[in-house]
Amino acid sequence: MSHDTLLDLSRWQWAITAMFHVTFPALTVGTSVFMAACYWMYMRTDEDVWLRMFRFWRRIFGIGFAIGVVSGIVLTFEFGLNWGPFAHDVGPIIGVIILMEVVTAFFLEAGFLGLLVFGDGRIGKRMMMFANVMVTVGTVLSVTWILVANSWMQTPAGFKRVDGQFQPVDWQHVILNPSFPLRFIHMLVAVLISASWFIGGISAWYFLKQRHLPIARRGVSIALGVLAIVLPVQGFIGDSVAFDVVGKYKAPELLAMEGNWSKKGSTSYNLLVWPDQSAAENDWHVAIPMLGSFIGKDFSGNTPTPGLKLVPSKLRPLMSPTFYGFRTMYLGYLLMFAVAMAGVILRLRGRLFSARWFHKVLLWMTPIGILAIWGGWITAETGRQPWIVNRQLLTADAVSPLHAWQVLASLVCFLAFYLALLGIYSWYVARAVRQGPDYPPEAEPQAPAQPQAPVRPGLVPGS
Amino acid sequence: MTLADGWMIYLLLALTMYVVLDGYDLGIGVLTLLERNDRRRRSMYELVAWMWDGNESWLVLLALAIWSGLPLVAGIALPALYIPLALMLFSLILRGVSIEMLAQYEGWNPSWGTVFGWASLLAAFWQGAAFGGLLAGVAVRGGSFAGHPWSFLHNGYSMLTGLAAVALYTFAAAVWVYARSDGVLQRSVARLGRFAVVALAAGTALSWALLQTAGSTNLDAGASSRLPVWLAGAAILASGLAVAFWSLGHASGRIAVGSALAVYGGGLTLLLGLLYPRVVPPDITVHAAASPHAALVFAIVGAGIFIPIILTYQSFAYWVFRGKLRVPKEVTVQ
Repeated sequence: MSHDTLLDLSRWQWAITAMFHVTFPALTVGTSVFMAACYWMYMRTDEDVWLRMFRFWRRIFGIGFAIGVVSGIVLTFEFGLNWGPFAHDVGPIIGVIILMEVVTAFFLEAGFLGLLVFGDGRIGKRMMMFANVMVTVGTVLSVTWILVANSWMQTPAGFKRVDGQFQPVDWQHVILNPSFPLRFIHMLVAVLISASWFIGGISAWYFLKQRHLPIARRGVSIALGVLAIVLPVQGFIGDSVAFDVVGKYKAPELLAMEGNWSKKGSTSYNLLVWPDQSAAENDWHVAIPMLGSFIGKDFSGNTPTPGLKLVPSKLRPLMSPTFYGFRTMYLGYLLMFAVAMAGVILRLRGRLFSARWFHKVLLWMTPIGILAIWGGWITAETGRQPWIVNRQLLTADAVSPLHAWQVLASLVCFLAFYLALLGIYSWYVARAVRQGPDYPPEAEPQAPAQPQAPVRPGLVPGS
Repeated sequence: MTLADGWMIYLLLALTMYVVLDGYDLGIGVLTLLERNDRRRRSMYELVAWMWDGNESWLVLLALAIWSGLPLVAGIALPALYIPLALMLFSLILRGVSIEMLAQYEGWNPSWGTVFGWASLLAAFWQGAAFGGLLAGVAVRGGSFAGHPWSFLHNGYSMLTGLAAVALYTFAAAVWVYARSDGVLQRSVARLGRFAVVALAAGTALSWALLQTAGSTNLDAGASSRLPVWLAGAAILASGLAVAFWSLGHASGRIAVGSALAVYGGGLTLLLGLLYPRVVPPDITVHAAASPHAALVFAIVGAGIFIPIILTYQSFAYWVFRGKLRVPKEVTVQ
């Protein structure tokens, strides 16, 4: 089998393993913040409802956290397994950055996870709060370092090349590379958004079933409150990323994601395209006239968005994934904005908790944040192609010298494993939601002052 | 001694921390396959559930220590060991998920329990196989892996080291549970532990003896400059195994754990004496593979600041979960 096949299979495997992994931090980072807020309220008010919420969301958190960890370990090894030449070339930079992630973030969240999930009866309230905060800080630090690493791949800086290897010259420029600050904020806000929809959707289910209403009210209120604040912020940040990062440093991506081919481009806004990459044209497309110009801030309708043929053909990213990734994220965002604003209006009119149609909408919106995150990352990664390190190292030159069948076999296994895990995860979350915040009913924690091991150490976390 | 040498020692320490900590985690998985009583299984499982993520993180540290400090090793050895490492990853996925799912039930859930046991065993096996595949030599040409997908087998040598790893981790688990338990559970693991010691001794001896014939390695154990190092290592290892065998069932948990530490320390010294200065036998030395100074310095400072902090809060977590395991007497309803 040819090198092209090996390359394609390796890229598909990375795409699948990365997309699967990102799903879980996209839920757990925000959920851990929510848990900390609930426990804080419990410590302040001593109201049982907040403790029950903390324990319930801790249980949901725990189910996803482990899957996030093991799928993350896959990616750690996959850098070297499938992209050995890349690992060798960027080790002194990316390897060091991710080493910092391990020693500042992974260990921190892992070290306090046991206390957080199993510490009932062994640690007091303040230590539980501390453990929660440490886990949250760990997850946020993870996001930080990963965005440092990935942003360096998008806008490499602070390096020199020696025999093909990237060597650090100035760590400040490596870490604070041009695209890092904006992309980091963008991703951090994104995971808060996706967790909010997840929490809001599950809380809405309790409204529809008329169960655990005090918990449902608080869940929906907090989730929509967060969304109402951060969604407008995210719009502004996303806009900045598009123009100050992508437009400035990854122009081919900007062209690909708008779906036009001709150099002059079009003033229309493309909703759907069916590109023929080798012929450098769209077989068909569906577009809204003049809207492209409006978005480019020219309301006369005269400013066209240029097309991908401005880029030499060997350096063009694939239009399909870049375009649809971006449309998914952006249109998903518009939908989120609309629903969140509807929520605000209902809240102001005092009908948020009684509008069943809205609760159904919230339930359907549960995964919307994840879809937008998938879309955004697909845009960023396929938009950077054919480079693995932007304008420095080609993806085709970075792949491990394996036999294509090896990658095909592992790809099929990952696909099977991960589809099964998605099913298992969903099933267990649904089960936890159905069982509700007061399950199991008979287990009571030991008094926090007692440091001995409980008589029955068999604990369902969250009980 | 150069920065690169220091990094190799740091790497071997990360390896030791992983083997010590996740070794017993994975080994407990194996023990749950051998143990017959569900309540004892659940108790041992809880030792894992509390600490597994922090323990497994040392594996990630090891991988990143290799990638950041010796990037050529990452670029060569990982593709060379694609099959055993991919199988290890699938096993670790299943193990992590099973730990979380077992926590969703009271008592011992047989389905997830079986997954937990076998996934742990297979993870251990494939780690050992990958290690043996590396030890017996990796074909390199022009800075790239030049072998083929099954090269890691080395005529079955890596299967032997795989089994030795299972024995090592089962031993680690038996010692740890022995120290953390009393009564029936303690007696039960003492018996299993003694089997593990014998298996480990045999596995280590065979792996040592067959290394020379296994592959294209040029690890000459007789090299005079390093002879005292690996001899010392072998002596510590052997005495550790002997004390461990005796102490399981006859002495305190502290002595058993101490003997296990001697086994690890001896094994580590043995490896160092055998390998140095090679990191990817036969051709790649630590100096050839090392990152430039600017990278190593940043990594050493970064790790140097945080490793003591990590050890502090990990020790705290162990302290929180201190005390003898209590095996519940009543029948748990599922």
